[in-house]
This record gives sequence, structure tokens and C-alpha cells, in this order.
Amino acid sequence: MESMTTQDFMDQVQQGTAILLDVNPPHTYSKAHPAGSYNFPFHRRQWGHDVKRALQGQNPPIGIFAENTVVADAAKNSLLEAGLSVPFVFDQGVKGWEEAGLPVARVHDLTVDELAQNLENYIVVDVREPYELRSGIIPGAISIPMGQLQQRIAELDKSRAHAIVCASGSRSASVAAWLSQQGFNVANVVGGMSLWMGARHPVQRA
Amino acid sequence: MIFVPMWDGSMGCASFLLGDEASGQGMVVDPLENLGADSYILSAAELGLEITAIVETHVHADHHSAARELAEKTGLMVSLSHLAPVSYAFNPLTQGDILDLGHVSATIWETPGHTPDSISLVITDSTRSDEPWLVLSGDSLFVGDVGRPDLVDPTPDMVKAAALDQFHSIHEKILTLPDTTELYPAHYGASACGGLFLSPKPVSTIGFERRWNRFVQITDPDQFVDQVLMLLKPPPEGAADIRAANLGVPTPA
Repeated sequence: MESMTTQDFMDQVQQGTAILLDVNPPHTYSKAHPAGSYNFPFHRRQWGHDVKRALQGQNPPIGIFAENTVVADAAKNSLLEAGLSVPFVFDQGVKGWEEAGLPVARVHDLTVDELAQNLENYIVVDVREPYELRSGIIPGAISIPMGQLQQRIAELDKSRAHAIVCASGSRSASVAAWLSQQGFNVANVVGGMSLWMGARHPVQRA
Repeated sequence: MIFVPMWDGSMGCASFLLGDEASGQGMVVDPLENLGADSYILSAAELGLEITAIVETHVHADHHSAARELAEKTGLMVSLSHLAPVSYAFNPLTQGDILDLGHVSATIWETPGHTPDSISLVITDSTRSDEPWLVLSGDSLFVGDVGRPDLVDPTPDMVKAAALDQFHSIHEKILTLPDTTELYPAHYGASACGGLFLSPKPVSTIGFERRWNRFVQITDPDQFVDQVLMLLKPPPEGAADIRAANLGVPTPA
């Protein structure tokens, strides 16, 4: 089903002329994904049109990365329906990607209990929106909403470990993966504030 | 916990997609060919779950299973009771085994009766409580009824022995669960795997069935066996062929 070799396509991704979309769920992406890929989890409600909107008028060649043929085929068809071009599909998952000798990026998962016990070792970055912070934040956490991260990246420290947290652990997984690609030492807080507060760990309220 | 029942009303069959929203790990129980293996894969993806386990509560005789197709497409192995007489390679489960999805886990209870290889899955979400939240009871305890004992071997002695096993599975295993435990059996309504009193309602609780299920009221094993046999419906059409296909053996001529 490939109309382009993996190496040829990834050369284009590195040059910035093509985009590789990892269509797996956020948790799967966070655990391991092709280096240089973006996460755009597949769904059956006009997913291709969501991708098209996110591209804001650009129309680069798009590659699809999935764990199985079922999701890969559905994602490809959805992009084609939206009028996008899909010259590359990889449906063998992370295992296949590694077996082909291609680079994989991983984000360390941190449980809320592990974080609570080692809180002093981490800069905690809360990527939720301001209105979500009323329920409280992890003591000492800095608030950088996901959309502001690129502009405020100077507030982070490449010599320190960061724990990225959101409400449920999905957004933080994407953010952690992106920060990891930028060379930061990051971990994703699994389950986010919902599990942190569920386990009755302390919160700080404004 | 993510918990999505996937029902096929035409056959009265229930299948389930469940998982841990924090870990992203999910499990499919009793996938149905009528719904198609792909529907489980795509639903799991939309729910943010990676399927890490596929479980059959027993080898079914009333409908075609999608478990093996799902296993092939996800690169997994089907999990079944160690007693399942299937002809393909599978992951064997025994009493007390735990399938761990993160905070959500399934504990395997062997509940023979409908078939010798029948299991139930006791589901717990540790972020809520260590107490079981629900049980996937397969074809042991149904809503209003119990699973029929005659589809594996219809000879009278074997049917009686199976009905007796069902009595013990229900009283000594399923009914030890707290009353608040939700009950999700593998069948409801039109299914041929139950008897005359199988409810069209697909969900109940242990407490409601303890109080109102007429088979649960019977405390004498022999009387239970008599009642079950007296109320049997005709066996499902093509049961032997369907069971053979699900076992992975060629259809008997």
C-alpha cells in the first residue's frame, strides 16, 4: 500500500516539505512514536476535514502512521475524501518502525504517586487553560496553557526534568512528546489532575 | 473506567470494550462477527484505547465470534479458559488470573455450567474502589435467567451435570459479589442461550437478581436442575456448525 519508500518520505519530512501524522490514541503516541511525527488521533467523524482545517490552507504530502491496517486504511480514505494527498502509509506500528531501523521518540510516563514522592525533582508544567485551574494546581507548578507553549518555551530549563500535567493526561502527552523533540527532559503525568486529586495529593488554589 | 457495551439486538448478544482512560489500555470481550472486527478497532481508537487483550467468556455455539479476526488484525492472541477445546493457539486463563489494564483490571473466575470453559470477568477500577464495580458473567447468570446447559453435549447425563455445575458457579461464585455489582451477561432478549425468562433488558445488578431471579431463589441443586431442563427453549439453529467454526475446526458434514 506504500507508493513511496519510507526513507524517501522521511527525507521530505526532515526537509519540512511533508508531514507524518501518527493517528494512534494520545497514550500510544506518548509511549513511542516515529521521531518527527505529529499526533492526530483518528476518529470516524470527518477526521480528514479536521486535519484539513488544522493545515490552514496548506496542502503538503501527508504520511500516515498507524498500528494496524484497519485504522491506517480508514485514516487514508478520510484524508482522500477531504481532498488531501497521501503518498505514504505505514501500518506496522512502532514495532515495525524500529525493525526497519527508523528512529523512535519516547516519553517517560510518570504516575501521580511517583510524582508526589519526587515532587522536588521536577519542574511541573500545567498545560491546562486558565479557567481549568480553579480546582487547584500541583504545589509549585507553573501554568503554561498548551497554546502558549511555543512562545513561552524560554521559561523551561533544558538542564532540569519536567513533569507535564493536564486534566486527564491526553494534552500533556502531546505536549511532552513535542517538548521531547525540542530536546527537553520531560515526563507525562498519567491520568493528569483527575488522578492527582483522586488520590488526594495536595493542591494549591489561587 | 471506559466501558462501552456493543450490542447486537438481532441475536441478543452482548460484547464489551473497556479500558483505563489514564493508561490508554483496553480490552475487548466476546467480539461479534455481526458487528465486525473493524468496529472494535475503530471504536477503541476513538476512545483513546489501545487494545491489549481480547477475551472470550467461552466458545460460543449461537453466533460467530470475531475474536480470531480481531486478534490477527491487532497482533494479539485470544484469551480463553484453559479448558477451551479450540484448535488454535490461545492465551489460557485460570481462576484468579488478573488482566491488568492499569487502574482497571479484570479478575478471571471460572464459572462452568453453560460450557465447561465458561469464565466470568470481575471488573475493578482502583481509582474508585477496590470493590468490584461490575461483572461480565458470560452465560452463567443472566438477567432473569441462567445460561442453558445443553449446547456442548446434549446427552441427558451430561446436561444434568452441566446444570449442576451452573448451580454451583452461580451460588458459590457469582452471588458472592456485593449487591451493588452491575451484571452484564453475554446475552439478553432474543438469544437462544437462555430460557423462557431471559429478559430483554441487557443489564442488572447482583442485588436485583439475588432478590428477583427465579433460578437464584432455588436453593436445592436437584430442583434447580429440574427447573432449568423443564424451561429449555429449542437449541439455536446450526449450533453445532457455529460451535465448530468458533473452535476453529472444519464444519462437520
